[in-house]
Amino acid sequence: MTLLPEGFIVWSVLAPALFLLGFALLTLLLGVFQRDRGFVAAVALTGIAGAAVFALHFLMEAQRGSAESGFGLRYLADAHASAFTLVILLGTALAVLVGQGTLERLDLDHPEYFPLLLLSATGAVVMVSAGDLITLLLGLEIMSLAVYVLAAWRSDVRQSQEAGLKYFLLGSFASALFIYGIALTYGAGGHFDYASLMAVFAATGFEAHITALLGAVLIIAGLGFKVAFVPFHQWAPDVYTGAPTPVTTFMAVVVKTAAFGALLRVAATIFAGLEAGALGAILPGVLVVLIGATLVVGNLGALLQAGVKRMLAYSAVAHAGYLGLAVVAAGADGMAAAGFYLAAYTLMTAGAFAVLTQVMDDDDRGDTIEHFAGLGRRRPWLAAAMAVCLLSLAGIPPFAGFIGKVLVIQAAITAGHVVLAVLAVVTSVVAVVYYARVVVAMYFREQSSAARLPERPASRSVDVAIGIAAVGTLLLGLLPGLWYTLLEQGQNLLVFVSSP
Amino acid sequence: MVATEAYVALSGVLFSIGAVGVLTRRSAIMIFLCVELMLNAANLALVAYAYRWAGTGLLTGISGQTAVFIILAVAAAEVAIGLGILVAIFRNRASTDVDALSEVRL
Repeated sequence: MTLLPEGFIVWSVLAPALFLLGFALLTLLLGVFQRDRGFVAAVALTGIAGAAVFALHFLMEAQRGSAESGFGLRYLADAHASAFTLVILLGTALAVLVGQGTLERLDLDHPEYFPLLLLSATGAVVMVSAGDLITLLLGLEIMSLAVYVLAAWRSDVRQSQEAGLKYFLLGSFASALFIYGIALTYGAGGHFDYASLMAVFAATGFEAHITALLGAVLIIAGLGFKVAFVPFHQWAPDVYTGAPTPVTTFMAVVVKTAAFGALLRVAATIFAGLEAGALGAILPGVLVVLIGATLVVGNLGALLQAGVKRMLAYSAVAHAGYLGLAVVAAGADGMAAAGFYLAAYTLMTAGAFAVLTQVMDDDDRGDTIEHFAGLGRRRPWLAAAMAVCLLSLAGIPPFAGFIGKVLVIQAAITAGHVVLAVLAVVTSVVAVVYYARVVVAMYFREQSSAARLPERPASRSVDVAIGIAAVGTLLLGLLPGLWYTLLEQGQNLLVFVSSP
Repeated sequence: MVATEAYVALSGVLFSIGAVGVLTRRSAIMIFLCVELMLNAANLALVAYAYRWAGTGLLTGISGQTAVFIILAVAAAEVAIGLGILVAIFRNRASTDVDALSEVRL
């Protein structure tokens, strides 16, 4: 009896994930023997670059219309998977650079740091490449377990412990919701892979449909926790603030990219199948309410914060709302728009957190607006990079964040969600206020005597990270076509297979 | 022969008990145990559904049972990490009460 058809197993599609995994183990081994942390960081960056080469190869293949998949349609290397893998690798590389430059100073220098980052990135890559709910679950857990440990990295500091425990307890609760959602979806559809589920759901009757809808809502809750949709966002401000800043950099960009990559794919297949069925209108309704609440709560929350780190945490919640617009418009358009938005988001958010590590003191404290006062005069380049990242986060042209916002709002309008699009525009006006507050402090206020910049030599690797982030933000804003055309013209296997 | 619905209903009850426990308990260890209960509820539902799908001749009846093993492995990994973090915290403050974790608020 043969269960597996010929050519079912295609190992090559796993190349980016396996490469990262191999280098995670290598850095773990090196960490034991090698005292020179810079060398280990360089090895980690090599692994990331190698994985990026494979991902780029698959993206080019998808451009030529020959996107690959392995294990049936359970693991995909199409345009969506490859592009999101590249964004994840970019975020991981920036986090490695920031970690290399700050860990020693923060007294956090343990050899497990880089291996955990790479392992987490491996899970993230599996998540965005998954074409099957079980593959997605495995990726989600590989990614999350490593990040729980990273959040509790400063094991002697109460804030960091608290961040770790909160993230872990709420995260495992969200995983449990997600897993029960998978069980119900399987019960209603009889399959785990997205393509079969989509086909089954589009044709199911009323009774199976209720089970499937319940399953879908639980899946939204589980992934919504990772991307910080309101009301699953409460952990985000506390965990982002409590975790060491280099770790927050990683969490804010990579975890969000991976969860959105997975959510978009699920929305484009399983949810699309449900929408074609008997009770189709309910699911988009649920998503619209969640995303609307995320836009409002994220932006108002950011407006009320005194600390810049916590403000950036709420800003991450708000950006989950803007990316949500792409989820309700999932399908090729929404996926490409989100791919662009997340690349821009990764650059500008990682850049802002990297600057924050340079402003905060050696105890990882001191992030009020006062600490940014007069930065423009004392550290002109640092201030300029921060200004670029913040103005881009606010969505001001000519930076990348502006183009990203235009793309997702356009996708939402095309999909018929005009109310949500209007809400996004209105809230992004509010957003300008809290980002501009920091920029104004940097350039138009004198340094206050109470909040001085710590005296220490600048870290070269953090400077490189900040440079990449600021230049990338500007470049993507001026020449968005460089990245967007790759997303737009690439072949997305499941969307391609399932569209009639 | 008990119907699939009965098993699924039982798993729903277990899941709800777990969820209510997570939201009301104050000790981190109890919260964690409740999460485990929710995971096992999902396993029960998966096994019941797998049996039903296998009964209808669908080949993916097997994948439901396989998924249970994967979820067991995931739960074991979560326990290892979670207890590690808990021990680190208990060393510092000799309590696992989650209400005491309110330092990061402004």
